[in-house]
Amino acid sequence: MPQLQIYFLRLLLFVFLQAFIFNQLEISPLIHIMVVPLYIFLLPFDRSVISLLFIALILGIGVDAASNTFGLHTSALLLFAYLRPFVFKFFSPRDGYDPLKSPSIFDMGNRWFISSFSVLLIIHHSWFFILEAFSFNEAWLVLQKSILSVGISFVVCVILQTIFIKRT
Amino acid sequence: MYVTYMSTPKSSYFTTASVITGSLFEIRHSISQHFQLEENNEQLQEENIELRKSSSLFLYNSSFSTLHTQDSIYAQQYDYIAGTIINSTTTKRNNFFTLNVGEIQGVEKGMGVFSSNGVVGIIHNTSPHYSVVKSVLTKNINIDVLLTDVGAHGMLKWDGEDPRIGKVTGISNDIAIPIGSKLITRGGSGIFPKGIDVGFVKAIKPIEGEASWHIDLEFTESYATLENIYIVKNLFLNEFNNIQN
Repeated sequence: MPQLQIYFLRLLLFVFLQAFIFNQLEISPLIHIMVVPLYIFLLPFDRSVISLLFIALILGIGVDAASNTFGLHTSALLLFAYLRPFVFKFFSPRDGYDPLKSPSIFDMGNRWFISSFSVLLIIHHSWFFILEAFSFNEAWLVLQKSILSVGISFVVCVILQTIFIKRT
Repeated sequence: MYVTYMSTPKSSYFTTASVITGSLFEIRHSISQHFQLEENNEQLQEENIELRKSSSLFLYNSSFSTLHTQDSIYAQQYDYIAGTIINSTTTKRNNFFTLNVGEIQGVEKGMGVFSSNGVVGIIHNTSPHYSVVKSVLTKNINIDVLLTDVGAHGMLKWDGEDPRIGKVTGISNDIAIPIGSKLITRGGSGIFPKGIDVGFVKAIKPIEGEASWHIDLEFTESYATLENIYIVKNLFLNEFNNIQN
């Protein structure tokens, strides 16, 4: 199957997973699992910022429509997509990225994935929860939420990759 | 997602009231609704019994003189629409419930929603077949509540920590509040009738530097398992708003 169709189907899959599975998993008010950032992260290395932002916008509107969050997911995903090239540049290997590889945990290795994805995920989740609360009174709650949710989202994102991505 | 155009008020698009997501959630609900069928039936039965008890058909009317004049004494103020929640969350910071009734059934933005156990929320957005409720488990719900034991009134809030516990602000701390006293809706904004259950006072704390209590209340409704709700329409709302302006 051509690359483009795979990415389109994967987009639908991520919106479905987020809206119908992870939004419905009500473990605790402190845990809000968000897996959609993984979709932006897994896009090929040679994507430009503009196309990343455009994809993030479509993905965000899709998730917002299904979870009544009125643009919160969109704004957090746009931030994620905008910062992705900077973080990739910071963590880039000595001889640059191989454009044939994908930014998954199997292609790039555990160490690279853990460092770059966790930085982006922490920014994404903190932005989301800060905007959601939008008040200093809830700073402690936002902090608790961010720490717990980032940890669990990260583990879920690793599990999703082991399930859906073919090892090379 | 809010889209503002010209000078008209904010309209929200892309919510679960839209056709695609609404119908997907309805499919999901049609599967999951059977899990709580027994419990819901019992609850509805109990409520039916209560209603039957108060219905005029089952009461012996001892004062025949008022029998014919009942209709002119009691004008109907509230209209009710029954509905079912087809999608809900309770652990997010702002929780919205999607209902399977919409504009066709007469649901309008701003109507109140309650269940047989207590207050649920306010209609936030509608489409022809679905509507979205801003539940009491959101940041700025601000429903007027009345403390039945002492007669003081305040605003209902939710701090996002526990879907069973709500907050009330604006009750002056010179009033002694007994733990366990009941909170009902005050009906002060014309959205809810007076007297719908909200919860019971669980704990009171003084706020430092402010002359009001910080009240924790335990909701009478458990929102995580809630399914059958009623939407209330105040037929006198225009008159009510006109006289207040």
